[in-house]
Amino acid sequence: MKEINDLNLPEDLKYTKDHEWAKLSDGVITIGINDYAQDQLGEIVFVELPETGDTFEKDDEFGSVESVKAVSEIYMPVAGEITEINEGLEDAPELVNESCYDDGWIIKVKPDDMSQFEALLDKGAYIDMLKG
Amino acid sequence: MPERIVPGSFKKKHLAIFQDLGVLEYKKALELQIRIQQEKIDKIIEEDYLFFVEHQCVFTLGRRGGKENLTVSKKFLSAQNIDIIQTNRGGNITYHCPGQAVMYPVIDLEKNKIGVKDFVYGLEEIMKLTANDYDINADRNKKNNGIWVGNAKLGSVGIAIKRGISMHGLALNINPDLEPFSWINPCGLSDISITSIGKEKAQSKSMGKNYDFSMDRIKNSFIKHFSSVFDYIIR
Repeated sequence: MKEINDLNLPEDLKYTKDHEWAKLSDGVITIGINDYAQDQLGEIVFVELPETGDTFEKDDEFGSVESVKAVSEIYMPVAGEITEINEGLEDAPELVNESCYDDGWIIKVKPDDMSQFEALLDKGAYIDMLKG
Repeated sequence: MPERIVPGSFKKKHLAIFQDLGVLEYKKALELQIRIQQEKIDKIIEEDYLFFVEHQCVFTLGRRGGKENLTVSKKFLSAQNIDIIQTNRGGNITYHCPGQAVMYPVIDLEKNKIGVKDFVYGLEEIMKLTANDYDINADRNKKNNGIWVGNAKLGSVGIAIKRGISMHGLALNINPDLEPFSWINPCGLSDISITSIGKEKAQSKSMGKNYDFSMDRIKNSFIKHFSSVFDYIIR
């Protein structure tokens, strides 16, 4: 596993304790799993996605990633409706390893309550949690 | 003088409770793991658990399925009185039966800072070391996870993780009837064979040495190797 200092954790993203990242743009939140998650999971061979239009509460399981014979659930950083899924992951799940913040994004969400986004961890708080 | 602590080497051991479930129906072991996993998530129980078990004959499917890798009809399996059970673990179709040692660690990977790929690697290591205890040279194979003797698979892994807590685990063939493995493409692979510790010893030239294939013997190997690989105290 990477050392904490070696993790790529962009300053402009929010993070969850379950190692997702979230980015707000024009009222829509893009969500994926962060560098720590993709590194400790190993080679990702499948991403189970929700459907556009599905709605979830904060912390609900919205899908899973399968790596090295292990299925790990992934969770909603905020409540909301899925507006888009990354269909490219169906044929190329390895994008989550190769480009977790760009081509490896997982879902886009229209949030119910923007304050849930604001309350997510910033980089510093997330790193403190990892160290804790 | 105070004891000198080298940075990074001061690592506390984790603690797990080992339970031998004997021969238990797959569904009951599954229910037990789901319950313990949920109670750990809900912080009702803190302890990590290792469940050691043999199952009655059963085929199980991974979260993504694997029924297509069944090479006999369901009618045939019904006649053999063997169920097919859908599960939430990683991997494809596999087979469990008496003579196969199964261990399900329901442990807090997140809290103990054990990464998923390291966890799977460690479970493979436990099976490899157990095979070594029988003077069998088993190893990983780039074809697939698990542990192999050449082109024959000796042991498998499959895991599901919820809120950082693991369930499912490893299955190592000790001395089972291997024929039902020929009714599937194990793990979704068609060009492999399956082996067991008993079969390897029967084939090897090193006969004359009496090996103990009992589950008690295997249990001790699993406890010893889990403890060393993952830095656990097991009680």
